[in-house]
Amino acid sequence: MGATRKVKFTKMCQKQSEISQNPSHFEGELSETEASANTVSNYMDYIKDMRFFDPHIHMTSRTTDDYTALIDAGVVAIIEPAFWLGQPRTGLASFKDYYSSLVGWERFRSSQFGIKHYCTIGLNSREANNEALAEEVMELLPLFLYKEGVVGVGEIGFDDQTAAEEKYYRLQLELAKEAKLPVQVHTPHRDKKKGTELSMSIALEHGIDPSMVIIDHNNEETVESVLEKGFWAAFTIYPFTKMGNERMVEIVKKYGPERIMINSAADWGISDPLAVPKTAALMKLRNFSDEVIKLVTYQNAIDAFAQSGQINKSDFENPLEIDQSLKFNGNTVLRGGQIPRMDKNSIFIK
Amino acid sequence: MQNKYSKLLYDLITKYATTQELEWIDLKSVDENDKIQQNFVSTPRFISQTIISNLESLINEVNFTNWNLVRLVRIYFLTKIDPANKENYIKNINTLFETAENKEAIALISALPFLHYPESFILRATDAVRSNIGSNFDAIAFQNPYPKLYFSELAWNQLVLKCIFNDKQINQIEGIHKRANQALANSISDLAHERWAAGRTINSQAWHMVIKYLNETIFKDICKMLESENYSNQAAAALVCYETDYTPAKKELSKYPELLRAIQNNSLTWGQLEK
Repeated sequence: MGATRKVKFTKMCQKQSEISQNPSHFEGELSETEASANTVSNYMDYIKDMRFFDPHIHMTSRTTDDYTALIDAGVVAIIEPAFWLGQPRTGLASFKDYYSSLVGWERFRSSQFGIKHYCTIGLNSREANNEALAEEVMELLPLFLYKEGVVGVGEIGFDDQTAAEEKYYRLQLELAKEAKLPVQVHTPHRDKKKGTELSMSIALEHGIDPSMVIIDHNNEETVESVLEKGFWAAFTIYPFTKMGNERMVEIVKKYGPERIMINSAADWGISDPLAVPKTAALMKLRNFSDEVIKLVTYQNAIDAFAQSGQINKSDFENPLEIDQSLKFNGNTVLRGGQIPRMDKNSIFIK
Repeated sequence: MQNKYSKLLYDLITKYATTQELEWIDLKSVDENDKIQQNFVSTPRFISQTIISNLESLINEVNFTNWNLVRLVRIYFLTKIDPANKENYIKNINTLFETAENKEAIALISALPFLHYPESFILRATDAVRSNIGSNFDAIAFQNPYPKLYFSELAWNQLVLKCIFNDKQINQIEGIHKRANQALANSISDLAHERWAAGRTINSQAWHMVIKYLNETIFKDICKMLESENYSNQAAAALVCYETDYTPAKKELSKYPELLRAIQNNSLTWGQLEK
């Protein structure tokens, strides 16, 4: 069985013809335009030896192929925020089992691919609207917030911006304050600007230091105010509905790398778990320094969430030492680079 | 009702904990029952992962090789839960199981033989055997007298078979030889057939389990192994023949004088077959 995967060649940038049809999407200098026209190569070539930290990815909804792709692309650690699974939960036990899986099974599954898995625990905004259930979930949360590897309260905040959402957002801010944990704030798809402003002003009202709050899913319209007020600004690179990475590059150009981090928020929808390494590659191609790339794809996320006291960098900076007695479906998994590989092009399954 | 292991565990802890850590433990061990849950969860915030290397003292048949201090302190806290109200006691432990993070799960599973009403937690123990998380499985399989004391034959056999299936060291299971049985011997033979069909083998240690339960089918396996090219297989088969009371096997071994001699002069033992 071959140890290396077939390298997939991906076209890095839009063709010249597409650029001229669609000029607003690409307004680089002439040299960049030339580079984009001539660059037909694997994006991985641009990010050799780089390490990434994806602070928002829902691995529960992803496959083992994604884990393999993540470690191959240099993603060494991730944060999985508690979220809405798509199907509304109807009882407390479903929440309990979900939170348990984030600190149990999923954490283990990730370790088998050499990726350090952290999580944030919280009641998401959509399900906060089921008030009877939300009350019960609030009682459950403290049991999980103090666990090893829980690096924040999240993702919480607004969706429809209802009274119930506000109530449980406020209650969870208090939990975060007591546990001295950072807060990972989901901002709404609809009426985003207003929802973002409201999330920030409520956090400040509760006396939470903005340096303990990561405002997520920002865009060109929200970023300025978030940075100005001293919060961390996270950007989700997610096709069609959130940010594209070309827009992201422009934002880093304009605002610099301070307090900015990017994530994939990959989940059950059409999303890309490799959004962070791909954006790093694009930044490299657009001549950003390695230092700037490192800040927005690795270091800033670590600095923000390490305020929980639950991140030990040595757990992922050196290749994960995997206990050789650990078995996954009968296979021995040694360390990141030595995951048992299937030859996907082979008709034989051994 | 004082837990008889509390004091012993505490004494072991004092050999490894710093003064500061001991202060925290002393402060927390007088807490009310409902606080013990929280202390159990937050232990790693106050206690280091110091490895326990002291092997001379067995407590409840457990030596604590390669445990860390957090795990030991967690079990100590569990032994401090007041068992007077049985229903509450069981509920408390079950809540911890249901919400356990991986390292908490390891501590809980290892704590089973130290708890009151141990028979009430049989499902927790067999769930650990069902787990695909290697460390959970290991916590019930090794350094743990719970299975040999409380497992039914069916549950016991599942534990041993899963151990063999995952190529783990079955001889590290407490009571492994005492609880050998015919059904287990038959299953080992079946598993070997499946593996052989796939061009794979099983850990030769497994054959130790069939010594007292040889029959016509298993004897055929033994003969096949004696004829095989694989030395571990040959050696295990020879040892089985030597130790069994099954007469045809004794006769079979006499056809392999070198193996017989090696066993007689102690240069071939089960110990050598350990990985």
